[in-house]
Amino acid sequence: MSNLTLDDAATLLLQLDAGDTEDLSRLREALTTLVFENTVPMTAQPHVARAARLLGTIIDGSAEDASGVFTDVSRTLEAAVSAADSASFAATPKRDESAKKRGAAPVASQPVAAVAEPIVAAVAEPVAAPVAEPDSAIIAEPAVDTTAAQNDELIEELPSDTDLDLLGDFLTESNECLVGAEAALLELEANPAHEEAVNTVFRAFHTVKGTSAFLGLSRVAAFAHEAESLLSRVRDKEIAYTQACAELSLASADMLKALLGEVKDAAAGSGRIAIPAGYDVLLQALISYDPAAPTAQAVAAVRAHAAPDIAPRTVAAEIVDAADAAAAPRSTTPSAAAEQSGRRRTDSTSDATIRVRTDRLDRLIDMVGELVIAQSMISGDDELDRTKQHELVRKVTHAGKIVRELQDLSMSMRMVELRPTFQKLTRVVRDTAVKAGKEVAFTVLGDDVEIDRQLADLLGDPLVHMVRNAVDHGVEGPAEREANGKPRTGSVRLQAYHASGNVVVELVDDGRGLHREKIVAKAIEKGLIETDKGMSDSEVFNLIFAPGFSTAEKITDISGRGVGMDVVRRNLEAIRGRIDISSAPGKGTTFAIRLPLTLAVTDGMLVRVGQERFVVPTTHIHMSFRPEPSMLSTVVGRGEVVLLRGELMPIARLHTLFDVPDAVQSPLEGLLMIVGEAERRTALLVDELLGQQQVVAKTLGDALGKVPGISGGAILGDGRVGLILDVTETVALAQGHGPTHVRHGAERARHVYAA
Amino acid sequence: MTASAPSNTLPTDKRAGKYLTFFLGDEEYGLEILKVSEIIGMQPVTRVPRVPEFVRGVINLRGKVIPITDLRTKFDMPVDEGRDACIIVVQMRGVQTGVVVDRVSEVVAIAESEVEDAPSFGSGIRTEFLLGIGKTGGRVKLLVDIDKVLESSEIAALESAVASGSAAA
Repeated sequence: MSNLTLDDAATLLLQLDAGDTEDLSRLREALTTLVFENTVPMTAQPHVARAARLLGTIIDGSAEDASGVFTDVSRTLEAAVSAADSASFAATPKRDESAKKRGAAPVASQPVAAVAEPIVAAVAEPVAAPVAEPDSAIIAEPAVDTTAAQNDELIEELPSDTDLDLLGDFLTESNECLVGAEAALLELEANPAHEEAVNTVFRAFHTVKGTSAFLGLSRVAAFAHEAESLLSRVRDKEIAYTQACAELSLASADMLKALLGEVKDAAAGSGRIAIPAGYDVLLQALISYDPAAPTAQAVAAVRAHAAPDIAPRTVAAEIVDAADAAAAPRSTTPSAAAEQSGRRRTDSTSDATIRVRTDRLDRLIDMVGELVIAQSMISGDDELDRTKQHELVRKVTHAGKIVRELQDLSMSMRMVELRPTFQKLTRVVRDTAVKAGKEVAFTVLGDDVEIDRQLADLLGDPLVHMVRNAVDHGVEGPAEREANGKPRTGSVRLQAYHASGNVVVELVDDGRGLHREKIVAKAIEKGLIETDKGMSDSEVFNLIFAPGFSTAEKITDISGRGVGMDVVRRNLEAIRGRIDISSAPGKGTTFAIRLPLTLAVTDGMLVRVGQERFVVPTTHIHMSFRPEPSMLSTVVGRGEVVLLRGELMPIARLHTLFDVPDAVQSPLEGLLMIVGEAERRTALLVDELLGQQQVVAKTLGDALGKVPGISGGAILGDGRVGLILDVTETVALAQGHGPTHVRHGAERARHVYAA
Repeated sequence: MTASAPSNTLPTDKRAGKYLTFFLGDEEYGLEILKVSEIIGMQPVTRVPRVPEFVRGVINLRGKVIPITDLRTKFDMPVDEGRDACIIVVQMRGVQTGVVVDRVSEVVAIAESEVEDAPSFGSGIRTEFLLGIGKTGGRVKLLVDIDKVLESSEIAALESAVASGSAAA
């Protein structure tokens, strides 16, 4: 659908009304693509971008008067079409300074002036609206002078519907791009043939252009467009990267930076973007850039007008930002300057961000963890207990509080909101619904819940899978729903919330639900179980995660939830998540994913085996108990098994697996810990439980590589390293290894579920 | 001692340079100082199951978990628990590893002229871990190629780096 042309889009819009949010959002995507892909002429881009933006407000419901905005959209799109038309017929050889263009200029600027885009002070000026200027470029020197003179008056207003979050991201990203571009430009100066550098600069300008057009910052977009065009000509070897070209590019980067600075000010303050002096001069220099003749002229123009103006302004802006100093000299209109310097003071630090390498962050978190341990060693010291110096005790306690606060702070630095992860799913729901012919309303709750960055990244794929399943198989078609007395539109709800130190992500649909009987029948057919006697609903539902449970041709027979659910569970387990299903036939299904807040901290059970200690992640432990003699038996004289509530499980001796001396030999004196899922349930023999503990998981050092059965190490309370058990691997080790264990796929399953 | 050695940077005398010397029993060994990141006292070591015997286990180095190799075990020397052992932390290509030695001695500069190739003792005595034998200060110092020591430890993560490391040998 992204292949729509502008005309297609306009036609499509005519067939829609403000209520068709689905189609409108599709249209919006198409328009966005048009802007980003450079497929519409520059004169039309601001209109297209504006139309897309307006559509956005209709779709997310933030538009107060949807139908009014809708009319506005069609008007804007018409303007875009006519701008595009006039541009294409008038200026096909765009940079060809022919007389034809001169005639085309008024035509092109016509729709621009008519746009609702509030280019307030500028509209009256004949050459002021930047989008019109490509065509007026040939009004050479005298025009330049007049515009330059009037430049200080230029003001553009920030679109009233600007998303400030988005704008903030845009500014951060664009500034990064420009810094990269600047470095590349300098590299180019030394080595003009450096293609990668040209590409870097090109991409930087391109990104700034696309995003700013999307945000309705038409002047920024127009400027970035011309700067990009210049670079694209260099890239395509149409022109050589000469000194003049370099000057122009650098000045352009400066100008863009200055523009971004103004946008930032505008966002924080009045919403009015003061266009920096020299804007038009530079813009025209870019447009009329000709490697042959007027080079000297252009450069002179750039030097004369732009350089002295832009450079100090940019520097001044940085100084003000950094030091939060007050009225640094600025070369805008005197009145505006005073106003702005006042505004600066208030906002300069508000949402400044800084990118930090994650390994540094991890190191910091490590060090803070060490500090916590060191602190607890001091506060737990016997000397301190005995001391009569209450002042000292008080100081130590105080330091302890600070350390804990520091720990919380360091942990919070890795956290991000779930919003971006959830946002992607909206699209998945829509696409799947369209494909499957379903009507689905998708709601998202709690997307401001914060979670470890790494987890948020890894959660994406499983969620996509589940959401697709929910729409495809969970929710019934509109007709079937009506027949069952449900509303036509199905509902799929994604919500996140905190629960006892975990984050729970729930996917709730009101579809047809899971049918226990069908799953049981299928599981028996697949040889996963023999009978469902004694199995709870949740145990039955969990069978859909068993590898090999669902094969493609049969899924829809079992109320959906098919392909790759085992992959989903495996992915979730990799991030230590647990998934539970509850469902009622005809009412719907709820998948609840329970995730740790962060992967950095593991909830572990500290166990002792001999003189060694291991950490077993609590998510994998079902229960621990000391067996009665009657529960134990052996299989063919070798394999040890324990019978617990009708379930037969092999016993794995941790001390044998890990070669630990002096450990408890008899299960009657130690403890059995049930770990693993379904047919892999195993009872691990340990000496005793030492207690539950949150530990920070670390690798055992790159030099050691992967140790079987061990997932990593953790610094324990006494400063020593404890090994974290990789339960899945340990179970595999136990089962694939030694004489202790019964084995054999289907037979094992029978053992497990034989009641 | 020859202070001129480090400034002499011809590729042929790779073995010249500053060495940290340490003892295993009565033998004095040398380890290229540039590979040493620090020296720490003996720490409680957590044994790791299912790894080669010479890997003593892991320790907590200020919040970082690093593996510890026991050089005595590695060189098939009798393990003497009574000695006041210490750990030299070496850093190679960003990977930190500790090696347990009996005692650290000093830092000496050794010129290429003072280094001889390790003699061959026939089968049973392994000398492939040695860069050579230094004769500075009237004592024999066995110059250890720590890369090789740890490489042949079946340390998986280091394998990829073998190619670049072999140039130094």
